[in-house]
Amino acid sequence: MDIDDEVVSRIPIRFSNALSPKIQIHQFPLLTRPLQVPPSAAASGKRITARLKPTVQRLEIHIPADTRAEVWNTDRGRELGAARIDDDREKNQESKGKEREGQEPRLSEVRMRSEQIQQKGAHMLGIVRDGQLHLHPISETHQLRPTLTYLDILSRKSKRSRVGGGSDSDSDDGPPPDPDEPAPTPAPKKEKKASGEAREVQVTARKSEDKGGLQQIQNGTSAARREMLIAIRSEEDESWQDLEFHDVTTVESETTFEGIFSQSDDILETETDVTAFLKDISGL
Amino acid sequence: MADNASGSGAGPSKAIGSLAKKPPTTRQGTQKFKFTPVLPARRQKVEEVKTEPTPDTIPQDSSRGRGRGRGRGDGRGRGRGAGPRPPVELTASGPFAMGPAMSGNNARRSVPRSNFAIPTPGTDRASLGVGLTRMSAAGIKKENDLKGGKEKDKPSQEDEEVYSEPDEGVEIIDMEDVRQMDWMAPESLRKERCQAKRKVKKEEPADDGVGTVPAAAAEVEVDPANALDLSESEEEEEFEDLIEHFARQEPVTEDPSMREERLYFFQFPSPFPTFAAPAAAIPDSVPEVVAESSTKKVSFADDVKAGSLPGSARGSMAPPEPPAAVKADENPLIDGIIGTLEVYRSGAVKMRLHNGILLDVTAATQPSFLQHAVSLDLAEKRLTVLGEVNKRFVVSPDIETLLTAMEMSERTPPVVKGEDVKMDTS
Repeated sequence: MDIDDEVVSRIPIRFSNALSPKIQIHQFPLLTRPLQVPPSAAASGKRITARLKPTVQRLEIHIPADTRAEVWNTDRGRELGAARIDDDREKNQESKGKEREGQEPRLSEVRMRSEQIQQKGAHMLGIVRDGQLHLHPISETHQLRPTLTYLDILSRKSKRSRVGGGSDSDSDDGPPPDPDEPAPTPAPKKEKKASGEAREVQVTARKSEDKGGLQQIQNGTSAARREMLIAIRSEEDESWQDLEFHDVTTVESETTFEGIFSQSDDILETETDVTAFLKDISGL
Repeated sequence: MADNASGSGAGPSKAIGSLAKKPPTTRQGTQKFKFTPVLPARRQKVEEVKTEPTPDTIPQDSSRGRGRGRGRGDGRGRGRGAGPRPPVELTASGPFAMGPAMSGNNARRSVPRSNFAIPTPGTDRASLGVGLTRMSAAGIKKENDLKGGKEKDKPSQEDEEVYSEPDEGVEIIDMEDVRQMDWMAPESLRKERCQAKRKVKKEEPADDGVGTVPAAAAEVEVDPANALDLSESEEEEEFEDLIEHFARQEPVTEDPSMREERLYFFQFPSPFPTFAAPAAAIPDSVPEVVAESSTKKVSFADDVKAGSLPGSARGSMAPPEPPAAVKADENPLIDGIIGTLEVYRSGAVKMRLHNGILLDVTAATQPSFLQHAVSLDLAEKRLTVLGEVNKRFVVSPDIETLLTAMEMSERTPPVVKGEDVKMDTS
């Protein structure tokens, strides 16, 4: 800026890519508190777990839920838990037997599911230590949000029971079913409280859309759609790999953290010119 | 319920204000005030009640005060002003900063500074749900708090809400305090306040006594001080803030259990310069790796990198590199000093990299949610959280330098053209 603006302090910038493809940023857009196990759950020994589908780059972090009676509806939790198990089964991602035996289905954890987002520019992690700024490239950015896919199962189920079992199953769950309605169509999610007419319209629209989709797949007209389906399928086909999850307070975290820092005192050179930044802008 | 409480609670305070100033306020358009966020009324000192309406009654205020002064002006008058009541987010900077879960196990390891506030047991509400923890979860708190004091953990007793006697079996809970009732309690909306504002608040009555214009002025002056989230555009503030991060050379706390290093996030312009150790030392390490991280699609495997990069970028920045084979070399380790970070007296922060690259560092939009820097080790199947990202910065090329460099490069083209021609002819 000003020409006579003097430099007050200088600190060296160090760069290291020692952990290069590993460092990622995980954003939790819906979380305004630290990622941690609720005290009650922690007391019973529950821990945060993580699992990953490496090829499709899908990560899940499971955080135990706080199931104290004060803040937790146990019945609903069971209901949802059963739905989640169904969901898992459908998606070929059952947890292997460890909590299966004898235990009733319970929704005991919140699953945060990752979505990779594009990085604009070059992202770096910076840490000031000992008066030096250490930079380390960040290779990926992911956003994690709670996954609620089991709700689909639940609503599908309640819909089916409505169609099959008649009006006695869910008394307050909207108007009696449309007789023309095919049973197994997945229900649109939040239609429970909708008025009768609105609901019918919705269902009709949904049906035609679905049909169109099917036709499109069969005819191969919509490549984009097929791509999406393929992506979904490949994701479902891949099995989860469990990851060890180490929180910040662990020794592992500390060890890794130390690894970020640049060790060597070499002065690196570059051929890159400032203009490279400008030239890189596409469309100029 | 707090809704009601605030509605009815607001009665008395408002009554005073509106009694005093009714005609002017209506002329001015009091309606805005009706829409003020549901703040439970606080006990107010009388003087404050007076000061509040005054600035608003002045027509002149409406030009400025509306947009800017409103949010906080309101807050101030409505009851916020009643006293320096600390914001709801409680400050944390201790071993507890990461929340209750951390409190037990931090003995063996330093805990990094967190963006989040300390959970505090709410001591004053005894009779509600027995099983509630009385302990709020940590929430995000403002940067200011982070650097600020640790002493305002508890709202002092006199700042507490004052309600009329609740009925039997009924407990009045301040909406803002819901968070403190239980670990699982929802977040209450954060108030746009911080300590800096408080200072001004105290001055204001005096100003008002003199005249109303100064009051407005004072209001304006407030802005840079407390503006981390609001006036990001105001350079001064921004810079101050930056310096605070980089100039601190000494550990602030001697507490060894706190990890002092904070994690920052830098967004550099797209092709991050490729660095290499001096050629003599390691002749064959042509550094393309860094760029890997700068490609738009994050290339995950090593073999995807340089070859698949947009040719234009590559070609322009790196002189013809003979060894395509060398690029396949996996992940040449780059480690060393790439430049200096300069903090100027004006508050500007710049990065001076080698080869004359000058970059401006500015604060970026700070997201309010949690961000982790993690290390995902596929081979070891391990996901390690390194810490929370405390602040985001944007690094952009210094325009002046950039233009100069462009000019310089403009002068060279003839040579390049000549070469081109030669190549064509040959």
